[in-house]
Amino acid sequence: MVMHHPSVDFLTAHAAGILPVAQSACVSAHLTYCEKCRRSNAQLQAIGGVFFEQLAPTPVSESVLDNVLARLDEPEPLHFADTASVARAEDSLPGVLRRIINGDFSQLVWKKVTRSLSISHLNTGDTHYEFALYRIGAGGRIPEHDHGGSEMTLVLEGGFSDGQGTYHPGDFVYRKNTDIHAPVAIDGEDCICLAVLDAPLKFTGWQYRWMNPFLQLRAG
Amino acid sequence: MVEQRTDKGGEARATAWSVPTGRRTDEWSESLVLIGKHRDRAAFTRFFRHFAPLIKSFALAGSSLSASHADELVQEVMLKVWQKAEGFNPEKAAASTWVYTIARNCRTDMFRRLQKFDTPLAADDLNIDVEEEEPFAVLHTRRGSDRVRELMGDLPPDQAQILAKVYMEGKSHSEAAAELDLPLGTVKSRVRLAIQKLQVQMDRQ
Repeated sequence: MVMHHPSVDFLTAHAAGILPVAQSACVSAHLTYCEKCRRSNAQLQAIGGVFFEQLAPTPVSESVLDNVLARLDEPEPLHFADTASVARAEDSLPGVLRRIINGDFSQLVWKKVTRSLSISHLNTGDTHYEFALYRIGAGGRIPEHDHGGSEMTLVLEGGFSDGQGTYHPGDFVYRKNTDIHAPVAIDGEDCICLAVLDAPLKFTGWQYRWMNPFLQLRAG
Repeated sequence: MVEQRTDKGGEARATAWSVPTGRRTDEWSESLVLIGKHRDRAAFTRFFRHFAPLIKSFALAGSSLSASHADELVQEVMLKVWQKAEGFNPEKAAASTWVYTIARNCRTDMFRRLQKFDTPLAADDLNIDVEEEEPFAVLHTRRGSDRVRELMGDLPPDQAQILAKVYMEGKSHSEAAAELDLPLGTVKSRVRLAIQKLQVQMDRQ
């Protein structure tokens, strides 16, 4: 049961289509886990529907209609999104992530950062937000850190605790710059999270501080 | 609209979208079903005449697309309407909401193309439709959305104005704040108040 959800602000921005692509992908991934937020999302889209139907119409020339009618028999482009729900049964990864990974989860390139933390950077094209998978070894800990900017986290597998709560698959956590935390993976299973950052993490413990230069933000 | 009414006789179809909410579906939902199930070009043409001018206004809202891009967007959206109509489920969403989401996605993709923003994700990928397994969930969702539609008319103008900027013009909260010369905090709290008034279900921070 998903317990932690995106804020009203994030869900509204997602429904209105104005959230940066990396953050929107993270919210979208949360929606595949969370029926409650899917319902909120449908309601938030209905707001758009009402504004849309109340717009003052702008005349469209007949030639546009003719063009469209002439193209109706064109073969329909097969798009990934249409096949996503079918494939979902075989693959527990949210569709949007499979789209980004564009292949097998096992082909991901993981970079070891500490004994229990590996990071795999993924490309969303977002020039401001880094989008990456974090794998924390069972029982392992991410060194205490704060965020130069913000961090969106979605648990995909396993779980972690950070002093403010315990999070399981589908849980969505958002932390702002000043929150210091040291997530610890729950015993027994590796924890895999999706993280969207707008500035590099800063490890605050003295023994890890040397590492900071290596954690450059990798947006894009 | 006469032929549409006479054509609507099929009983399976009539029951398919009349029962669960106990609410009459609008004529555009009926058209969409005709378009999807029967590839009805006459119904599509009527649908086009109604929605194309709205899509064009949506394209021009926020005034960042030229008139020719707006026409291009109208074509893209209406082609998708034709292609996706079969998947339209009148029990899940109102026709206008359904068209809005297609227009929103196409506009986002067009913006990104024009800005040479290179991303492997199309806006459709960020809005993957999850099939609800529970019939109750579908009903519940539809009721919540209908409630939003009913309550929209009661929104105070200052809240509606900001929501319209966000949804129709694609403005971020800070852009809306700058344009309306309001503090960012005021914009955010008006959005939240509006969402609350519309009874969007959120039990969170």
